[in-house]
Amino acid sequence: MVTTDGLTKFYGRIRAVDHLTFSIPEKSVFGILGPNGSGKTTTLGMLLDVIHPTSGTYSWFGNPPDKKNLQKIGSILETPAFYPYLSAVDNLRIIAEIKSSGHENINEVLKITGIYDRRHSAYRTFSLGMKQRLALAATMLSNPLVMILDEPTNGLDPRGIAEIRDLIRRIAAEGKTIILASHLLDEVQKVCTHFSVLNKGQLMYTGMVNESREEQYIEISADDMQKLLDVLVKFPDHLGIENKGAVVVMTLPGTIPVSEVSRFLFNQGVLPTHLVSQKKSLEAQFLEILKEEK
Amino acid sequence: MTRLFRIELIKIRTNAAFWVLASLHIGIILLVILSGKMFLRSISLNGESITNLIDPSAIPLYQFPDIWHNVTYVAAYLKFILAIYMIISITNEISFDTLRQNIMNGLSRIDFIVSKYFLILLLSFGSAVFVLVTALVTGLTSTPEFEAHDLIKYSGFIPAYFLLLTAYLVFAFLIGLLIKRTGLAMGLMFLYTLIIEPVIVFRIKTDWIKGLFPLKAINNLIHMPFGKYALREVQDYVAVKDIAIVAVYLILFTWFIYLLLRRRDL
Repeated sequence: MVTTDGLTKFYGRIRAVDHLTFSIPEKSVFGILGPNGSGKTTTLGMLLDVIHPTSGTYSWFGNPPDKKNLQKIGSILETPAFYPYLSAVDNLRIIAEIKSSGHENINEVLKITGIYDRRHSAYRTFSLGMKQRLALAATMLSNPLVMILDEPTNGLDPRGIAEIRDLIRRIAAEGKTIILASHLLDEVQKVCTHFSVLNKGQLMYTGMVNESREEQYIEISADDMQKLLDVLVKFPDHLGIENKGAVVVMTLPGTIPVSEVSRFLFNQGVLPTHLVSQKKSLEAQFLEILKEEK
Repeated sequence: MTRLFRIELIKIRTNAAFWVLASLHIGIILLVILSGKMFLRSISLNGESITNLIDPSAIPLYQFPDIWHNVTYVAAYLKFILAIYMIISITNEISFDTLRQNIMNGLSRIDFIVSKYFLILLLSFGSAVFVLVTALVTGLTSTPEFEAHDLIKYSGFIPAYFLLLTAYLVFAFLIGLLIKRTGLAMGLMFLYTLIIEPVIVFRIKTDWIKGLFPLKAINNLIHMPFGKYALREVQDYVAVKDIAIVAVYLILFTWFIYLLLRRRDL
């Protein structure tokens, strides 16, 4: 969908983005994680032709940079940007003209994002949450192949956040590619299929969200906790066992299927009453990735 | 192409600043013309001491063919009102981040320039048509008798007025894009128009060099007509040389605008 080759941006002597080479697969929900100032927005700005790379190249859909590519992309960068004195409908009309896409979708996207009732109000009278919703409506307007969302749930209340996530999943299910920049790990974990981590302009990691990088945690409890502990110690390849009272947490390499644990316990004469495998949370992975590089 | 024009139309249709400044522009033009006419009438009716010196009815300010030159010359002073709107229109695009968003949405930088040039042409054309109608109506009601060639003579000042406005608004576009902040850009435009360039031009002795400065060149499209009523010689035509200088400035300004947009991170 999009590939970059050595994308670099200097602001004076500050290296905001440093030789980024990556590609984002079609139909993925791709999360870009990184602390504030890690170069997420600068990177997206370069892909959207509003920031000039110091060096390096990128291509969309296999084509060199051109406005035709951008017309097939719906994007928000940082904060929603609209004409404050124009109504929601007029703002969307302008975007439809720019994308040469016709006005028939306007009412539909306003309904999907839940601001249809306020469609004739001036943008400046909107709350932050409504502005975010209009921005999302704008990205969906021309039925784009790719949506780029930079912190799309900023300023939304919990219900709004849940709705936006739902919406992102629904759009992804339609086979669209979504690129989501966020510093909210939880957000990326809940909606993304792939993610990468940026820090100080460098690409730290790229992979699938569910791909367990190293470890998994298995929570087990049984009627006889002492016997459970005694048996588990004998489990081959375990990386650690912790007794948490009501449950025992065993750390295993990510490659071992849970069924093996269950079979092992059964063979040893222990019947687990509770057995849950937890992949390492993205937050833990993220912090670890950042720590490794220090 | 028409889509770029439609984009600008949507932007101005419900924009209060546009309607206020456009009304102000034509309102003041109308006011100046009418008050001048009333003043002339009042002195010819009441001011006997003045009428003894000069007969106001002998000054054909509002008569064909002079009216074309006189009205366009006076109206050109009010170009700054449209320039204020032009600056607001450009600096707003920058401060609202809508220029950036529009480019992200697939508007090219050239598309942006073209769409703003449509706005400029719309403003200049609208004002020129208004001045044309005003001059026509005033001329018809003020000229005792005239022949067809009186009506047409000097009417070339209307296209000159259109070009003058267009060039000045492109200048305002450049200033707005360069300075980015509304207040600062307006301040600089006024400072340059009213003080910086006039002072420089004043210190220069040679006429043709004076005419090479951008605003002087723009204003030279319509020379001051009133000297002829004091029997001084005035340029009562639009000179090809003056049009050529303005055309060169239009190209230069456009090129600067393009370079600024091309180079800048948005």
